[in-house]
Amino acid sequence: MDPLVIVGLVVVLALFFDFTNGFHDTANAMATPIATGALKPRTAVLIASTMNLVGAFLSTAVATMISVGMINDAGNLKPEIVFAGLTGAILWNLTTWFLGLPSSSSHALFGGLIGAVIAAAGFGAVNFDSILQKIFYPAIFAPVIAGVTAWLATKLAYAITKRSSDTDLATGRGRFRYGQVFSSSLVALAHGTNDAQKTMGVITLVLVASGLQADGAHVQTWVVLAAALAIALGTYSGGWRIIKTMGKGLSEVKPAQGLAAEVATAATILASSKLGFALSTTQVASGSIIGSGLGRAGGKVRWNKAGQVFIGWLLTLPAAALVGAISSAIVLAGPAGIVIDSVITVAVIIAIFQISRRNAVTHQHVSSELEEASEVVESKKQRKAATKTFKQAKSGKDKK
Amino acid sequence: MFTPIAWNSLFNVFGAALVATAAIVILFSYGVRLLVNAENAKTNAANGDVKALRSEAANRAGAYALFALSFSAVIYGVLLIVPNLIPSIK
Repeated sequence: MDPLVIVGLVVVLALFFDFTNGFHDTANAMATPIATGALKPRTAVLIASTMNLVGAFLSTAVATMISVGMINDAGNLKPEIVFAGLTGAILWNLTTWFLGLPSSSSHALFGGLIGAVIAAAGFGAVNFDSILQKIFYPAIFAPVIAGVTAWLATKLAYAITKRSSDTDLATGRGRFRYGQVFSSSLVALAHGTNDAQKTMGVITLVLVASGLQADGAHVQTWVVLAAALAIALGTYSGGWRIIKTMGKGLSEVKPAQGLAAEVATAATILASSKLGFALSTTQVASGSIIGSGLGRAGGKVRWNKAGQVFIGWLLTLPAAALVGAISSAIVLAGPAGIVIDSVITVAVIIAIFQISRRNAVTHQHVSSELEEASEVVESKKQRKAATKTFKQAKSGKDKK
Repeated sequence: MFTPIAWNSLFNVFGAALVATAAIVILFSYGVRLLVNAENAKTNAANGDVKALRSEAANRAGAYALFALSFSAVIYGVLLIVPNLIPSIK
Protein backbone atom coordinates (compact mmCIF):
# COMPACT_ATOMS: atom_id res chain seq x y z
CA MET A 1 0.00 0.00 0.00
CA ASP A 2 1.13 3.53 -0.72
CA PRO A 3 3.01 4.80 2.34
CA LEU A 4 1.32 8.17 1.94
CA VAL A 5 -2.06 6.53 2.60
CA ILE A 6 -0.69 5.06 5.84
CA VAL A 7 0.77 8.43 6.84
CA GLY A 8 -2.61 10.03 6.18
CA LEU A 9 -4.38 7.39 8.24
CA VAL A 10 -1.95 7.81 11.14
CA VAL A 11 -2.29 11.61 11.09
CA VAL A 12 -6.09 11.39 11.16
CA LEU A 13 -6.14 8.73 13.87
CA ALA A 14 -3.50 10.52 15.96
CA LEU A 15 -5.51 13.74 15.84
CA PHE A 16 -8.64 11.78 16.76
CA PHE A 17 -6.72 10.32 19.70
CA ASP A 18 -5.63 13.84 20.68
CA PHE A 19 -9.24 15.03 20.47
CA THR A 20 -10.47 12.22 22.76
CA ASN A 21 -7.63 12.97 25.15
CA GLY A 22 -8.77 16.57 25.50
CA PHE A 23 -12.38 15.43 25.64
CA HIS A 24 -11.57 13.03 28.44
CA ASP A 25 -9.29 15.26 30.50
CA THR A 26 -11.23 18.54 30.71
CA ALA A 27 -12.52 17.27 34.03
CA ASN A 28 -9.02 17.04 35.50
CA ALA A 29 -8.52 20.77 35.20
CA MET A 30 -12.00 22.15 35.50
CA ALA A 31 -13.99 19.82 37.76
CA THR A 32 -12.89 21.51 40.99
CA PRO A 33 -13.46 25.15 40.04
CA ILE A 34 -16.89 24.27 38.66
CA ALA A 35 -17.71 22.23 41.78
CA THR A 36 -16.68 25.04 44.15
CA GLY A 37 -18.46 27.63 42.04
CA ALA A 38 -15.30 29.57 41.23
CA LEU A 39 -16.06 29.49 37.52
CA LYS A 40 -19.20 29.28 35.46
CA PRO A 41 -19.12 26.06 33.45
CA ARG A 42 -19.15 27.86 30.10
CA THR A 43 -16.22 30.10 31.10
CA ALA A 44 -14.30 27.17 32.57
CA VAL A 45 -14.56 25.15 29.38
CA LEU A 46 -13.52 28.09 27.24
CA ILE A 47 -10.50 28.83 29.44
CA ALA A 48 -9.49 25.17 29.55
CA SER A 49 -9.46 24.79 25.79
CA THR A 50 -7.60 28.06 25.24
CA MET A 51 -4.96 27.10 27.81
CA ASN A 52 -4.56 23.68 26.22
CA LEU A 53 -4.00 25.34 22.88
CA VAL A 54 -1.35 27.68 24.30
CA GLY A 55 0.33 24.89 26.28
CA ALA A 56 0.81 22.79 23.17
CA PHE A 57 3.11 25.44 21.71
CA LEU A 58 5.40 25.81 24.72
CA SER A 59 7.69 22.82 24.37
CA THR A 60 8.50 19.82 22.18
CA ALA A 61 10.71 17.82 24.57
CA VAL A 62 8.09 15.11 25.07
CA ALA A 63 7.33 14.84 21.34
CA THR A 64 11.03 14.41 20.59
CA MET A 65 11.29 11.73 23.27
CA ILE A 66 8.60 9.70 21.45
CA SER A 67 9.78 10.29 17.88
CA VAL A 68 13.51 10.01 18.53
CA GLY A 69 14.18 8.61 22.00
CA MET A 70 11.76 5.71 22.32
CA ILE A 71 12.38 3.83 19.08
CA ASN A 72 15.83 2.82 17.82
CA ASP A 73 16.43 3.67 14.19
CA ALA A 74 12.96 5.06 13.48
CA GLY A 75 14.01 5.64 9.87
CA ASN A 76 13.90 1.88 9.25
CA LEU A 77 10.55 1.42 10.94
CA LYS A 78 7.62 0.58 8.70
CA PRO A 79 4.89 3.24 8.89
CA GLU A 80 2.39 0.37 9.15
CA ILE A 81 3.77 -0.43 12.60
CA VAL A 82 3.02 3.07 13.88
CA PHE A 83 -0.48 2.66 12.48
CA ALA A 84 -0.84 -0.71 14.26
CA GLY A 85 0.35 0.71 17.58
CA LEU A 86 -2.01 3.65 17.33
CA THR A 87 -5.08 1.54 16.54
CA GLY A 88 -4.15 -0.79 19.41
CA ALA A 89 -4.03 2.20 21.78
CA ILE A 90 -7.36 3.57 20.55
CA LEU A 91 -9.08 0.18 20.87
CA TRP A 92 -7.78 -0.29 24.41
CA ASN A 93 -8.77 3.25 25.36
CA LEU A 94 -12.31 3.07 24.05
CA THR A 95 -12.95 -0.34 25.57
CA THR A 96 -11.74 0.64 29.04
CA TRP A 97 -13.69 3.89 28.82
CA PHE A 98 -16.82 1.99 27.85
CA LEU A 99 -16.40 -0.55 30.65
CA GLY A 100 -15.66 2.21 33.17
CA LEU A 101 -12.21 0.81 33.99
CA PRO A 102 -9.52 3.20 35.23
CA SER A 103 -6.93 3.59 32.50
CA SER A 104 -4.48 6.14 31.16
CA SER A 105 -4.73 7.21 27.54
CA SER A 106 -1.05 8.17 27.54
CA HIS A 107 0.07 4.78 28.76
CA ALA A 108 -2.28 3.15 26.28
CA LEU A 109 -0.51 5.08 23.52
CA PHE A 110 3.00 4.14 24.68
CA GLY A 111 1.94 0.55 25.33
CA GLY A 112 0.35 0.23 21.89
CA LEU A 113 3.41 1.64 20.11
CA ILE A 114 5.94 -0.38 22.13
CA GLY A 115 3.94 -3.59 21.67
CA ALA A 116 3.58 -3.05 17.93
CA VAL A 117 7.27 -2.28 17.43
CA ILE A 118 8.43 -5.26 19.51
CA ALA A 119 6.06 -7.61 17.69
CA ALA A 120 7.32 -6.39 14.33
CA ALA A 121 11.04 -5.86 14.87
CA GLY A 122 11.98 -7.56 18.14
CA PHE A 123 13.09 -6.23 21.52
CA GLY A 124 16.16 -4.53 20.07
CA ALA A 125 13.98 -2.07 18.16
CA VAL A 126 12.84 -0.16 21.22
CA ASN A 127 15.10 1.87 23.47
CA PHE A 128 14.40 0.37 26.90
CA ASP A 129 16.68 2.83 28.65
CA SER A 130 14.67 5.76 27.32
CA ILE A 131 11.35 4.03 28.08
CA LEU A 132 12.41 3.35 31.68
CA GLN A 133 13.84 6.82 32.32
CA LYS A 134 11.23 8.90 30.52
CA ILE A 135 8.03 6.87 30.93
CA PHE A 136 8.28 4.07 33.47
CA TYR A 137 10.10 5.68 36.41
CA PRO A 138 8.24 9.00 36.01
CA ALA A 139 4.97 7.01 35.98
CA ILE A 140 5.83 5.73 39.44
CA PHE A 141 7.41 8.83 40.92
CA ALA A 142 5.54 11.78 39.41
CA PRO A 143 2.22 11.01 41.18
CA VAL A 144 4.18 10.61 44.44
CA ILE A 145 6.01 13.90 43.84
CA ALA A 146 2.71 15.64 43.11
CA GLY A 147 1.12 13.98 46.17
CA VAL A 148 3.86 15.02 48.61
CA THR A 149 3.91 18.53 47.15
CA ALA A 150 0.13 18.87 47.38
CA TRP A 151 0.18 17.51 50.93
CA LEU A 152 2.74 20.10 52.00
CA ALA A 153 0.98 22.91 50.13
CA THR A 154 -2.35 22.04 51.78
CA LYS A 155 -0.70 22.02 55.22
CA LEU A 156 0.88 25.40 54.49
CA ALA A 157 -2.35 26.96 53.20
CA TYR A 158 -4.30 25.81 56.25
CA ALA A 159 -1.57 26.82 58.71
CA ILE A 160 -1.19 30.31 57.24
CA THR A 161 -4.91 31.04 57.22
CA LYS A 162 -5.53 29.54 60.66
CA ARG A 163 -7.04 31.90 63.25
CA SER A 164 -6.40 31.59 66.96
CA SER A 165 -9.12 29.50 68.55
CA ASP A 166 -10.38 32.18 70.98
CA THR A 167 -11.61 34.45 68.18
CA ASP A 168 -14.52 33.58 66.00
CA LEU A 169 -13.12 35.49 63.04
CA ALA A 170 -13.60 33.83 59.67
CA THR A 171 -10.55 32.20 58.09
CA GLY A 172 -11.55 33.40 54.66
CA ARG A 173 -10.53 30.08 53.14
CA GLY A 174 -13.46 30.31 50.74
CA ARG A 175 -11.46 32.99 48.97
CA PHE A 176 -9.09 30.36 47.68
CA ARG A 177 -11.73 29.67 45.06
CA TYR A 178 -10.71 32.88 43.26
CA GLY A 179 -7.16 31.57 43.13
CA GLN A 180 -8.52 28.37 41.67
CA VAL A 181 -9.50 30.28 38.55
CA PHE A 182 -5.78 30.63 37.90
CA SER A 183 -4.57 27.31 39.29
CA SER A 184 -7.02 25.31 37.21
CA SER A 185 -6.06 27.27 34.11
CA LEU A 186 -2.48 26.37 34.92
CA VAL A 187 -3.41 22.69 35.03
CA ALA A 188 -5.03 23.02 31.59
CA LEU A 189 -1.87 24.70 30.30
CA ALA A 190 0.34 21.96 31.74
CA HIS A 191 -1.96 19.37 30.19
CA GLY A 192 -1.36 20.95 26.79
CA THR A 193 2.43 20.87 27.29
CA ASN A 194 2.46 17.14 27.98
CA ASP A 195 -0.50 15.47 26.28
CA ALA A 196 -0.64 17.36 22.97
CA GLN A 197 3.03 16.52 22.50
CA LYS A 198 2.30 12.81 22.54
CA THR A 199 0.29 13.26 19.35
CA MET A 200 3.03 15.39 17.81
CA GLY A 201 5.49 12.62 18.67
CA VAL A 202 3.42 9.93 16.96
CA ILE A 203 2.88 12.00 13.80
CA THR A 204 6.58 12.85 13.66
CA LEU A 205 7.40 9.17 14.16
CA VAL A 206 5.31 8.15 11.15
CA LEU A 207 6.82 10.96 9.06
CA VAL A 208 10.31 9.70 9.92
CA ALA A 209 9.32 6.06 9.34
CA SER A 210 7.96 6.85 5.88
CA GLY A 211 11.05 8.86 4.95
CA LEU A 212 9.18 12.15 4.70
CA GLN A 213 11.34 13.63 7.45
CA ALA A 214 14.92 13.01 8.56
CA ASP A 215 15.46 10.96 11.72
CA GLY A 216 16.12 13.25 14.66
CA ALA A 217 14.72 16.35 12.98
CA HIS A 218 12.52 18.83 14.82
CA VAL A 219 8.77 18.56 15.07
CA GLN A 220 7.27 20.43 12.10
CA THR A 221 5.14 23.50 12.67
CA TRP A 222 2.01 22.12 11.01
CA VAL A 223 2.20 19.10 13.31
CA VAL A 224 2.35 21.33 16.40
CA LEU A 225 -0.53 23.41 15.07
CA ALA A 226 -2.73 20.42 14.23
CA ALA A 227 -2.11 18.71 17.58
CA ALA A 228 -2.76 21.93 19.50
CA LEU A 229 -6.05 22.53 17.69
CA ALA A 230 -7.21 18.93 18.10
CA ILE A 231 -6.63 18.88 21.86
CA ALA A 232 -8.25 22.30 22.30
CA LEU A 233 -11.32 21.27 20.31
CA GLY A 234 -11.54 18.03 22.28
CA THR A 235 -11.31 19.91 25.56
CA TYR A 236 -14.04 22.27 24.43
CA SER A 237 -16.42 19.50 23.37
CA GLY A 238 -15.65 17.41 26.44
CA GLY A 239 -16.63 20.26 28.70
CA TRP A 240 -20.27 20.17 27.76
CA ARG A 241 -20.50 16.56 28.84
CA ILE A 242 -18.99 17.38 32.22
CA ILE A 243 -21.34 20.25 32.82
CA LYS A 244 -24.33 17.99 32.40
CA THR A 245 -23.03 15.21 34.59
CA MET A 246 -20.63 16.98 36.94
CA GLY A 247 -20.29 14.41 39.70
CA LYS A 248 -20.57 15.15 43.35
CA GLY A 249 -17.42 13.10 43.82
CA LEU A 250 -15.23 16.13 44.26
CA SER A 251 -17.56 18.08 46.53
CA GLU A 252 -15.40 17.08 49.49
CA VAL A 253 -12.51 19.08 48.04
CA LYS A 254 -12.40 22.50 49.68
CA PRO A 255 -11.13 25.55 47.76
CA ALA A 256 -7.82 25.81 49.67
CA GLN A 257 -7.18 22.13 49.09
CA GLY A 258 -8.18 22.40 45.44
CA LEU A 259 -5.76 25.26 44.88
CA ALA A 260 -2.90 23.42 46.57
CA ALA A 261 -3.60 20.27 44.56
CA GLU A 262 -3.87 22.12 41.27
CA VAL A 263 -0.67 24.10 41.71
CA ALA A 264 1.16 20.89 42.66
CA THR A 265 -0.25 19.08 39.62
CA ALA A 266 0.65 21.87 37.22
CA ALA A 267 4.16 22.33 38.66
CA THR A 268 4.91 18.61 38.48
CA ILE A 269 3.64 18.27 34.90
CA LEU A 270 5.42 21.41 33.69
CA ALA A 271 8.75 20.39 35.21
CA SER A 272 8.33 16.91 33.72
CA SER A 273 7.47 18.28 30.28
CA LYS A 274 10.66 20.31 30.39
CA LEU A 275 12.72 17.14 30.92
CA GLY A 276 10.79 15.17 28.29
CA PHE A 277 9.02 12.91 30.80
CA ALA A 278 5.86 11.61 29.12
CA LEU A 279 3.42 11.40 31.99
CA SER A 280 -0.14 10.40 32.51
CA THR A 281 -1.54 13.77 33.52
CA THR A 282 -4.52 12.06 35.13
CA GLN A 283 -2.25 10.04 37.40
CA VAL A 284 -0.38 13.16 38.49
CA ALA A 285 -3.68 14.95 39.21
CA SER A 286 -4.86 11.91 41.17
CA GLY A 287 -1.66 11.93 43.23
CA SER A 288 -2.27 15.58 44.10
CA ILE A 289 -5.90 15.03 45.06
CA ILE A 290 -4.88 12.21 47.41
CA GLY A 291 -2.01 14.26 48.85
CA SER A 292 -4.18 17.29 49.51
CA GLY A 293 -6.88 15.08 51.09
CA LEU A 294 -4.29 13.75 53.52
CA GLY A 295 -3.00 17.26 54.16
CA ARG A 296 -6.23 18.26 55.84
CA ALA A 297 -6.69 17.31 59.46
CA GLY A 298 -8.11 13.84 59.89
CA GLY A 299 -7.73 12.64 56.29
CA LYS A 300 -7.22 8.89 56.05
CA VAL A 301 -6.43 6.58 53.16
CA ARG A 302 -8.94 3.95 52.10
CA TRP A 303 -6.34 1.37 51.17
CA ASN A 304 -8.63 -0.98 49.24
CA LYS A 305 -9.83 1.90 47.06
CA ALA A 306 -6.22 3.04 46.58
CA GLY A 307 -5.28 -0.50 45.55
CA GLN A 308 -7.99 -0.55 42.88
CA VAL A 309 -6.78 2.72 41.38
CA PHE A 310 -3.12 1.65 41.36
CA ILE A 311 -3.79 -1.74 39.79
CA GLY A 312 -5.74 -0.04 37.00
CA TRP A 313 -2.70 2.19 36.38
CA LEU A 314 -0.21 -0.67 36.35
CA LEU A 315 -2.21 -2.81 33.95
CA THR A 316 -2.69 -0.20 31.23
CA LEU A 317 0.75 -0.22 29.61
CA PRO A 318 1.27 -4.01 29.30
CA ALA A 319 -2.35 -4.59 28.29
CA ALA A 320 -2.20 -1.94 25.58
CA ALA A 321 1.16 -3.36 24.48
CA LEU A 322 -0.53 -6.72 23.95
CA VAL A 323 -3.32 -5.14 21.87
CA GLY A 324 -0.67 -3.18 19.92
CA ALA A 325 1.30 -6.38 19.29
CA ILE A 326 -1.81 -8.19 18.02
CA SER A 327 -2.77 -5.38 15.67
CA SER A 328 0.86 -5.22 14.52
CA ALA A 329 0.70 -8.92 13.65
CA ILE A 330 -2.51 -8.34 11.69
CA VAL A 331 -1.05 -5.37 9.81
CA LEU A 332 2.16 -7.22 8.93
CA ALA A 333 0.17 -10.08 7.41
CA GLY A 334 -0.08 -8.04 4.21
CA PRO A 335 -1.94 -5.17 2.58
CA ALA A 336 -5.24 -6.77 3.57
CA GLY A 337 -4.11 -6.61 7.20
CA ILE A 338 -4.20 -2.81 7.22
CA VAL A 339 -7.72 -2.87 5.84
CA ILE A 340 -8.81 -5.42 8.44
CA ASP A 341 -7.20 -3.43 11.25
CA SER A 342 -8.83 -0.18 10.07
CA VAL A 343 -12.22 -1.85 9.73
CA ILE A 344 -12.01 -3.28 13.26
CA THR A 345 -10.99 0.09 14.72
CA VAL A 346 -13.69 2.07 12.92
CA ALA A 347 -16.31 -0.57 13.76
CA VAL A 348 -15.43 -0.45 17.46
CA ILE A 349 -15.44 3.37 17.48
CA ILE A 350 -18.89 3.48 15.85
CA ALA A 351 -20.30 0.64 17.96
CA ILE A 352 -19.20 2.20 21.26
CA PHE A 353 -20.40 5.62 20.16
CA GLN A 354 -23.82 4.21 19.24
CA ILE A 355 -24.24 2.15 22.40
CA SER A 356 -23.15 4.98 24.66
CA ARG A 357 -25.59 7.32 22.95
CA ARG A 358 -28.49 4.90 23.28
CA ASN A 359 -27.75 4.37 26.95
CA ALA A 360 -27.39 8.13 27.41
CA VAL A 361 -24.07 7.37 29.14
CA THR A 362 -24.54 6.56 32.79
CA HIS A 363 -22.64 8.47 35.41
CA GLN A 364 -20.33 5.51 35.95
CA HIS A 365 -18.92 5.98 32.47
CA VAL A 366 -18.42 9.69 32.57
CA SER A 367 -17.17 10.20 36.10
CA SER A 368 -13.55 11.20 35.93
CA GLU A 369 -10.64 9.23 37.30
CA LEU A 370 -10.04 12.21 39.50
CA GLU A 371 -13.25 11.55 41.39
CA GLU A 372 -12.13 7.96 41.70
CA ALA A 373 -8.85 9.15 43.23
CA SER A 374 -10.57 11.60 45.57
CA GLU A 375 -12.41 8.64 47.08
CA VAL A 376 -9.09 7.17 48.14
CA VAL A 377 -8.95 9.62 51.01
CA GLU A 378 -11.64 9.53 53.66
CA SER A 379 -12.14 12.87 55.36
CA LYS A 380 -12.91 13.35 59.03
CA LYS A 381 -16.45 14.43 58.19
CA GLN A 382 -17.13 11.35 56.11
CA ARG A 383 -15.77 9.07 58.83
CA LYS A 384 -17.95 10.74 61.46
CA ALA A 385 -21.00 10.34 59.26
CA ALA A 386 -20.18 6.68 58.69
CA THR A 387 -19.73 5.99 62.42
CA LYS A 388 -22.98 7.74 63.16
CA THR A 389 -25.00 5.62 60.74
CA PHE A 390 -23.21 2.53 62.05
CA LYS A 391 -24.15 3.40 65.63
CA GLN A 392 -27.71 4.18 64.63
CA ALA A 393 -28.00 0.85 62.87
CA LYS A 394 -26.55 -0.87 65.90
CA SER A 395 -28.85 0.81 68.42
CA GLY A 396 -31.79 0.04 66.13
CA LYS A 397 -30.88 -3.62 66.32
CA ASP A 398 -30.48 -3.53 70.09
CA LYS A 399 -34.02 -2.27 70.52
CA LYS A 400 -35.33 -5.25 68.66
CA MET B 1 18.80 -3.76 29.97
CA PHE B 2 17.50 -2.42 33.26
CA THR B 3 19.39 0.76 33.82
CA PRO B 4 19.41 2.32 37.27
CA ILE B 5 16.98 5.13 37.92
CA ALA B 6 18.28 8.55 36.91
CA TRP B 7 17.57 10.04 40.31
CA ASN B 8 19.06 13.32 39.24
CA SER B 9 16.26 14.33 36.89
CA LEU B 10 13.58 12.98 39.22
CA PHE B 11 14.99 15.08 42.06
CA ASN B 12 15.02 18.06 39.72
CA VAL B 13 11.30 17.60 39.06
CA PHE B 14 10.61 17.10 42.76
CA GLY B 15 12.63 20.14 43.75
CA ALA B 16 11.12 22.37 41.10
CA ALA B 17 7.56 21.26 41.87
CA LEU B 18 8.03 21.62 45.62
CA VAL B 19 9.71 25.03 45.57
CA ALA B 20 7.35 26.49 42.95
CA THR B 21 4.20 25.15 44.62
CA ALA B 22 5.26 26.19 48.11
CA ALA B 23 6.18 29.70 46.94
CA ILE B 24 2.92 30.22 45.06
CA VAL B 25 0.71 28.78 47.81
CA ILE B 26 2.48 30.63 50.64
CA LEU B 27 2.19 33.97 48.83
CA PHE B 28 -1.46 33.37 48.00
CA SER B 29 -2.34 32.16 51.51
CA TYR B 30 -0.81 35.23 53.16
CA GLY B 31 -2.73 37.29 50.62
CA VAL B 32 -5.95 35.66 51.76
CA ARG B 33 -5.02 36.27 55.38
CA LEU B 34 -4.32 39.95 54.82
CA LEU B 35 -7.52 40.33 52.84
CA VAL B 36 -9.51 38.93 55.76
CA ASN B 37 -7.63 41.30 58.09
CA ALA B 38 -8.66 44.17 55.85
CA GLU B 39 -12.29 43.12 55.95
CA ASN B 40 -12.25 42.83 59.74
CA ALA B 41 -10.67 46.27 59.99
CA LYS B 42 -13.38 47.61 57.72
CA THR B 43 -16.04 46.38 60.14
CA ASN B 44 -14.20 48.06 63.02
CA ALA B 45 -13.87 51.26 60.99
CA ALA B 46 -17.60 51.27 60.37
CA ASN B 47 -18.03 51.14 64.15
CA GLY B 48 -16.11 54.39 64.48
CA ASP B 49 -12.55 53.12 64.99
CA VAL B 50 -10.36 55.71 63.23
CA LYS B 51 -7.15 53.67 63.33
CA ALA B 52 -8.89 50.74 61.68
CA LEU B 53 -9.36 52.72 58.49
CA ARG B 54 -5.59 52.95 57.98
CA SER B 55 -5.18 49.31 58.93
CA GLU B 56 -7.71 48.32 56.30
CA ALA B 57 -5.86 50.17 53.56
CA ALA B 58 -2.49 48.69 54.56
CA ASN B 59 -3.78 45.15 54.77
CA ARG B 60 -5.62 45.40 51.49
CA ALA B 61 -2.57 46.82 49.70
CA GLY B 62 -0.44 44.03 51.15
CA ALA B 63 -2.95 41.41 50.06
CA TYR B 64 -3.04 42.64 46.48
CA ALA B 65 0.75 42.86 46.37
CA LEU B 66 0.99 39.24 47.51
CA PHE B 67 -1.56 38.10 44.93
CA ALA B 68 0.42 39.90 42.24
CA LEU B 69 3.67 38.27 43.43
CA SER B 70 2.03 34.86 43.44
CA PHE B 71 0.77 35.41 39.91
CA SER B 72 4.23 36.56 38.75
CA ALA B 73 5.76 33.41 40.22
CA VAL B 74 3.33 31.36 38.12
CA ILE B 75 4.20 33.25 34.93
CA TYR B 76 7.94 32.96 35.61
CA GLY B 77 7.59 29.22 36.23
CA VAL B 78 5.73 28.72 32.94
CA LEU B 79 8.28 30.76 30.98
CA LEU B 80 11.09 28.60 32.40
CA ILE B 81 9.89 25.56 30.48
CA VAL B 82 9.90 27.31 27.11
CA PRO B 83 13.22 26.49 25.43
CA ASN B 84 15.65 29.38 24.79
CA LEU B 85 13.41 31.96 26.37
CA ILE B 86 15.37 32.41 29.57
CA PRO B 87 18.94 31.53 28.55
CA SER B 88 20.44 31.15 32.03
CA ILE B 89 18.48 27.98 32.62
CA LYS B 90 19.06 24.95 30.48
